[in-house]
Amino acid sequence: MAELCGCCSAFKPRYKRLVDSIFPADPQEGLVKSNMDKLTFFAMKSPEKLDRIGDYLAQRLSRDVSRQRNGYVRIAMEAMDNLLVTCHAPTLNLFVESFLKMVQKLLECNEPQLQVLATSSFVMFSNKEEDTPSYHRRYDFFVSKFSAMCHNNHQDMEDQIKTRLRVAGLQGLQGVVRKTVLDDLQVNIWDKTHMDKIVPSLLFNLEGSMERAAESPREEERPCDVAETVFRDLVCRASYGTINAIIRPVLMHLDNHQLWVPNHFAVHCFKIIMYSVQAQYGYVVVEMLMEHLDQNIKQDAQIKASIVNVLAETVLIAAGGSIGPTVLEVFNTLLRHLRLSLDSDTSDPQKKSDEKNFQEAVINTIGEFANHLPDYQKIQILMFVMGKVPKVTDADPSSNNKEVLLQTMLMKTILKVATKYKTVEMSSAFPSSFLEPLLKMSMVPDSGTRKIVQEILQTLLDRHDNAAKLKTVRIPKDIVQLDLTMEEAPRQDFMFMKKNGSLFYWHLYENMQQSNNKVDNYEALYCTMVLLLLEMGGGEVRMELLRLALGIQKMAIKNSLPVTHQSAILALVSAYMNLISQLYDIPLFCEHVDSVIAARTKKASHLLPDIAFNRHNTSRSYPKNMAVTDDLLFDVDVITSALEARGHDTSRLSVPFVTRPSGLDAKSKPYTVDMNISMSDIHSTITDFESATTTPILVRRGFSAEEITFDSMKKILEVNPKQREEDEENRRRIIDSFRNGPFEEIVAKNEQRAQQIQDKVDEILAMIAQPQHSPGGSPRKPIIEEESVPIYEIQFPELFVY
Amino acid sequence: MEDYKYLFKVVLIGNAGVGKTCLVRRFTQGLFPPGQGATIGVDFMIKTVEIDGEKVKLQIWDTAGQERFRSITQGYYRSANALIVVYDISCQPTFDCLPQWLKEIEHYASTKVFSYLVGNKSDRASQREIPAYVGEDFARLHDMEFIETSAKEADNVDSLFYDIAKELTRLARQNSLRSHVSETDLSGGSTSISSISSCCRFS
Repeated sequence: MAELCGCCSAFKPRYKRLVDSIFPADPQEGLVKSNMDKLTFFAMKSPEKLDRIGDYLAQRLSRDVSRQRNGYVRIAMEAMDNLLVTCHAPTLNLFVESFLKMVQKLLECNEPQLQVLATSSFVMFSNKEEDTPSYHRRYDFFVSKFSAMCHNNHQDMEDQIKTRLRVAGLQGLQGVVRKTVLDDLQVNIWDKTHMDKIVPSLLFNLEGSMERAAESPREEERPCDVAETVFRDLVCRASYGTINAIIRPVLMHLDNHQLWVPNHFAVHCFKIIMYSVQAQYGYVVVEMLMEHLDQNIKQDAQIKASIVNVLAETVLIAAGGSIGPTVLEVFNTLLRHLRLSLDSDTSDPQKKSDEKNFQEAVINTIGEFANHLPDYQKIQILMFVMGKVPKVTDADPSSNNKEVLLQTMLMKTILKVATKYKTVEMSSAFPSSFLEPLLKMSMVPDSGTRKIVQEILQTLLDRHDNAAKLKTVRIPKDIVQLDLTMEEAPRQDFMFMKKNGSLFYWHLYENMQQSNNKVDNYEALYCTMVLLLLEMGGGEVRMELLRLALGIQKMAIKNSLPVTHQSAILALVSAYMNLISQLYDIPLFCEHVDSVIAARTKKASHLLPDIAFNRHNTSRSYPKNMAVTDDLLFDVDVITSALEARGHDTSRLSVPFVTRPSGLDAKSKPYTVDMNISMSDIHSTITDFESATTTPILVRRGFSAEEITFDSMKKILEVNPKQREEDEENRRRIIDSFRNGPFEEIVAKNEQRAQQIQDKVDEILAMIAQPQHSPGGSPRKPIIEEESVPIYEIQFPELFVY
Repeated sequence: MEDYKYLFKVVLIGNAGVGKTCLVRRFTQGLFPPGQGATIGVDFMIKTVEIDGEKVKLQIWDTAGQERFRSITQGYYRSANALIVVYDISCQPTFDCLPQWLKEIEHYASTKVFSYLVGNKSDRASQREIPAYVGEDFARLHDMEFIETSAKEADNVDSLFYDIAKELTRLARQNSLRSHVSETDLSGGSTSISSISSCCRFS
């Protein structure tokens, strides 16, 4: 048609004449600017002509393409771009159709330069906002073609052109996404068909950054950098419903290209994803990774370990509350994999070490994950993991092997989580549903596991970072050398210890007796004991711990443990006594401890930590006959009188260590054993009663009444039922008064009480002001005690400062 | 201004190294590139042919045979009008993988895609491992067309693509005719349910 009118251009419509005029005679000269302005002006003045201009331009262009007149093609494209930028008319819609047709035409031809040109035009178009949506426009071809360009690897092209084509493809994809993502009425770019092309194309180019990272940066853009930008852009546009459309192809790509092992690239990818994704959807990514782990359950441990590593990195970034809802699900999955991994039995050493790595990875991930949870959730996690610990029965030792392994693994997991927890209050760190099974775990036959349990206890008990200083058992002349930090324990902790203290004591006591204890175990036990003392060792608790130490000493002498164990226990007690005596700071007590230690140094140095805890010991380090004379032991009477002289209430101390924990099921096996020991302890003060035949009678305390002296009987009665009754009565009274009394009365009462407390405090403060030896202070008053321990840097809680 | 009547998407699939890229280039550019490297991801070519005086444009997507690109190539099956499954007549394993490819097609491509089985490298007669009748039987069994080609000798390459174009054109005409019929049917307003269902079955 154009040819036909070539000779008589005057008869052509105005718009055609304007379009023709922008093409110079020689394509080298480029677009005729002045005529282009005229065309633009015309298009703006009469926008209804715009679609016809587009149509005509496209026609010319497709003719030029087929005749390979590339110069004119460029000019037509430039004109198209100009018109597109300047015009805002609603009729632009039809014009765009022609425009896209031109772009497609150029993309279809084999000339790389034209493809690049078309892409840049498309990118420009994608930046333009249209005011009328077009429902019928489809981008299938563009997605497919741009994706193909991203993979360009034509052999007959120069590298530079290849790179440019790839970059163009990436930018084109970004353009398509940008164009479609904002408008719901447009093509759904998140559809599987599109994402399956877009995402692998981006990743394929992104991978280049890993391979050629060392290469010096070139002037032009590298595909991998562009790919990363585009990928970030894509991920940050994803919403809750669409994020999985991205992640799924990513996982598939990593599978197909075997990029899990080694997993640098996978980590790189997921880092990009996690840093770009909208924070509230972070957990979806975590979820999908876990699903993927589930799907790969049969895969190599190596691959699984890599996936878990990636998961760990991902979780690190998905910090805070965003992963909240799925927290337990995550732990559940990881623990399940841990279990499965333990179950898989392989003899192949390579596979075995792979499995081991996998298990480590899982535990680390759990730790990292827990690290990012708020504290209350950490405790939940601890309890959750605790609930997964299998109960080992003694019946079948062969099948127990795995169970024990699992126990150990889970304990390691708990330790990892517990390390991240920052204890504030003991009662919240040790809810009874957690504490009881944990302490029960401290009694398992496997000494390695027992040590881990102690470490868990330590990390949860330790609020002042003392644990590290207590890893070895030492007897310093002055405990300042240990550089321990102490602080008055809050009231709630006393309540906690009142309730649960006996549990701790009993388990420590029992742990001492385990015949397969190693040096590590004793050190760990020592550390736990000292931490209890430091964290909560005020008043009664300190007295109880002293009693425990003396009880342990007695047990060590009486029980027939191997020499090494006995020495270790006695050495441990000596170190503990040294510490506790210095905490009391009573000269008589200290002197006694010093004299015992001196005596040991002289006569029985194997009862001191330096030798007893020496790992290079041989049997020669110990004397043949293990006669422990009284002067080598700590004497209850001496200590009692020393404490009494200072006004401490030592009535408990004279009671031999009764290890019955309150509120425990007496039927379970270890506890009955314990009872034998404890009861025989009691007997030992009166008669030498040690016979297995009496065991059944001793199971219940009441039955053994006739064998016990009046004193101990009275104690038991006093401690237990009577007190409980009183407490009960008290509680009832309080509740009654609050239920029935009028409000004003209650208020008045409370005010009065507050006044009383004020008075009391004044009184106490007055006493402190007096010289030290005032006998008025009962062990219950912590302030006075603190006052009498000047060696430490005393840190008063805020409450006291006021 | 449309310079073609119909546009068809043709996708080539098959194991790595069976000669997919060579087939495409022989057809679109008329040359046989010696030492062609492995295709990465997907490649794209276009060719317009004339069928019964009408211009038919073929969009040819040449996919990578390598396993690792499977995720992206699968994306291209879906929109295809015709699939060309290629194997190498001198290489038994490429033929053995055909059921696997058919499974892929079933899984990813649209239900009633026109597919063609091609035994390439027919010039290597001396090294032939798959007799022609085996391929033919396989094709018949799976409701496919069959042809043996040689991209090197330009043997049967054009006829392969022309055949596809012809068949697709025929199907397209049939479809447009059918849709036209059903449209008028529906516009009658009194269409019974049975007629609609028959329509559906028909199409």
